[in-house]
Amino acid sequence: MFSKRSRRVIGAAAAVAATFGLAACGASGGGETTADGRVEVTFWQQKFEDYQQEWFKKNVDAFNASQDEVTVKLQVVPADTWEQKLQAAQAAGKQPDISTLSYGRIKPGVAEGKFAPLDEYLPTEAFSDIKENVSPFVTVDGKHYAYPMLVEPSTVLYYRSDLAEAAGLDPNSPPESWDELIEWSRALTQGDVKGMTVASTAADLGWASWGLQYNACGHLPISDDWSEARATEPCFAELAEFYKTLYQEGLMPQTPKVGYADGMPYGEGEVAMMQGGSWVVGQLKNDFPDVVDTTMVAPFPSIDGDPTKTTASLGGWTLGLDSKSKNPEAAAKFIEYLLAGDPEIMADFFTETGYSKYTVRTSVDEALANDPEASADPFMAVISEKIVPYGQAEPAYPWDVALAMGTAIESSMKGSADIETSLKTADDAINDIIEKQKLSGTATN
Amino acid sequence: MSITADQQRGIIPSPIKAPGKRGAGRFAGIPGKTSPANRDNVTAYLMIAPMVVLLGIFVMWPLVYAFYLSGFEISFYSEPEFVGLQFYKYVLEDPKFWSSLGVGLAYAAMVVPTGMFISLMIASVIKTLSARMAAFLKTTIYVPAVVSTVVASVLFVFIYQDQGLANWMLGALNAGPVAWLNDPATALPAIAVPGIWLGLGITTLIMLAGLLDIPESYYESAQLDGASFVQRTWYITIPLLKNVLLYLFVTGTVAALQMLDLPLIMTNGGPVNATTTPNLFIFNTFRDGSEYSTSFSLTAALLLFLVLGGISVLVFRLISSEKAIDG
Repeated sequence: MFSKRSRRVIGAAAAVAATFGLAACGASGGGETTADGRVEVTFWQQKFEDYQQEWFKKNVDAFNASQDEVTVKLQVVPADTWEQKLQAAQAAGKQPDISTLSYGRIKPGVAEGKFAPLDEYLPTEAFSDIKENVSPFVTVDGKHYAYPMLVEPSTVLYYRSDLAEAAGLDPNSPPESWDELIEWSRALTQGDVKGMTVASTAADLGWASWGLQYNACGHLPISDDWSEARATEPCFAELAEFYKTLYQEGLMPQTPKVGYADGMPYGEGEVAMMQGGSWVVGQLKNDFPDVVDTTMVAPFPSIDGDPTKTTASLGGWTLGLDSKSKNPEAAAKFIEYLLAGDPEIMADFFTETGYSKYTVRTSVDEALANDPEASADPFMAVISEKIVPYGQAEPAYPWDVALAMGTAIESSMKGSADIETSLKTADDAINDIIEKQKLSGTATN
Repeated sequence: MSITADQQRGIIPSPIKAPGKRGAGRFAGIPGKTSPANRDNVTAYLMIAPMVVLLGIFVMWPLVYAFYLSGFEISFYSEPEFVGLQFYKYVLEDPKFWSSLGVGLAYAAMVVPTGMFISLMIASVIKTLSARMAAFLKTTIYVPAVVSTVVASVLFVFIYQDQGLANWMLGALNAGPVAWLNDPATALPAIAVPGIWLGLGITTLIMLAGLLDIPESYYESAQLDGASFVQRTWYITIPLLKNVLLYLFVTGTVAALQMLDLPLIMTNGGPVNATTTPNLFIFNTFRDGSEYSTSFSLTAALLLFLVLGGISVLVFRLISSEKAIDG
């Protein structure tokens, strides 16, 4: 997720420091050779949950020790500063050889010539191991421009069974429609504890509402060939109304402390239910073990209660190779080692995540099948059986389009304008983006 | 700060004599002799040379180059494409650019006059105090100036939380709670409060320096004529502080229009762009990630440069500084 994780205030403070102080420092364009004759490649990893930083470091060290030709230099970059730091590095020709990439960034990046195809560096078996439904996420014109790492649905309903029971609700039959969810939220809002939390800023809503945009309308607010906006359709008004009710009735925190991707308010007991990505399972297990026992997950309610409609977009991360890398072969060697090589390496990763993310390779599935803990995890079962099968890939259109829709929902929620005007503004903005960024006919979904 | 009458009237004694007839008359026709005026000129040029060179490298050239680049659709991965003034048109057509200017002006309108009024009041009080008390108050009032904007932002974010200090105080009055930073109507004023607080120290000290420059005899005379505090302020203090006020107003307005860090940290420009100041708009478009946005944000920055320059000129025109009087 671009710039969406860890939106804590302190994180933003660090962002400012990093932006103005460090933007152009510390990068290396690779292509260097160390004194002992090893080729040096740089790898920028976006900062995720703490355990991920440890996992990446451990495996980079293991790769560097496993051979004597390539040294990978790992640099962790906070999500909030990622884009500006990367752009500054690209302008100076100091961009990393390898970087973490979300699925949504691959196709627009390929159109701009940012990534090199991996096909000539990795063996064919590496690509045939990628699951069929994930392969198109990284493929453009038959070439693979990144190697997928994981898939994670962006929308899951988390709720506290103890608080539901105390409010006279049956935790074993969670809300299935938006109306039911609002009733639950009203029943669970008591004192300082709010019933629900959802994304509430344009930057979060831009991506966190993709699943529900599909749910309400069956499509996103742009035509399939990206030639015109569709934001004024009545189904999007229903979506905006849903968000507006939650916010204006005070059923969710009015000033959220953190962004959508962070499950802290739920973990700390400030809310009884939460819309969150599957990754929050990992965060709860690691940081808030006390609430895990009383937490249940369910597919996010659907507009009309139909559980087979999409509620989540399938986001996730990959590693991509920069088209300007001076040592593409050496860089690809590391990508192959980490993501496409020994399945045990990635199996170890998914174990570390607390089974909150999902595999993209058949061989890793097989490695995990022997892990009894994985198959017994209650959260994993619900998410992989009831949410992932109906998930949709993240759209490949420019972020501006997503932001325009996110702004419309936020505007409706917070009363800057009525729903109709907000959606009209988004529609105009999307049409403007189509014209100025010459999007018509370039759809790669 | 003390602005003397001479400085105001533009008759600053200059070490650089105007070259011209005098030198030409006395030393004309004497080969190998350099006139003192020319020597002075050489020294003067040498002394300003380092600054001119540095300004040239770090200000003038980047500015010229930025204007040149704004004619291209910049790409870091392929040849830039010349598009002429296309991006100027795009920026000027973008409602978000104009709305960000509106936010910047509204923020300046909240912060600058309020800050100046509070500072004038505090400075007036400090002036009447004993030296010891005044020193204590001056230090106290200066503290916010040394607090980093980032720290102040984080502090105020906590104050504005649902269960924060601001809502606790409202609760004590049986009102609220208010979603200070998440309501489009209250977010900008909520950000203006730390903005005023941070600027208070320097503004007050400058005001105080200006106040102390006004001869006490004016006030004594006015008091003998029975002028009240308000009359003394209106007829003596404000006219004689005109240049100080003008300086503070122009620098304050330009700084407020360029505000970036408070809204970036406290609201990230939200809710619904209600706190997206011009610089934050430019920053957000830059970090948008697409190559289109690189050229767009560059052009928006150049246009903002023109707007800020225009506003400064306008302010100077409206409040003509040459006519200022001083004791």
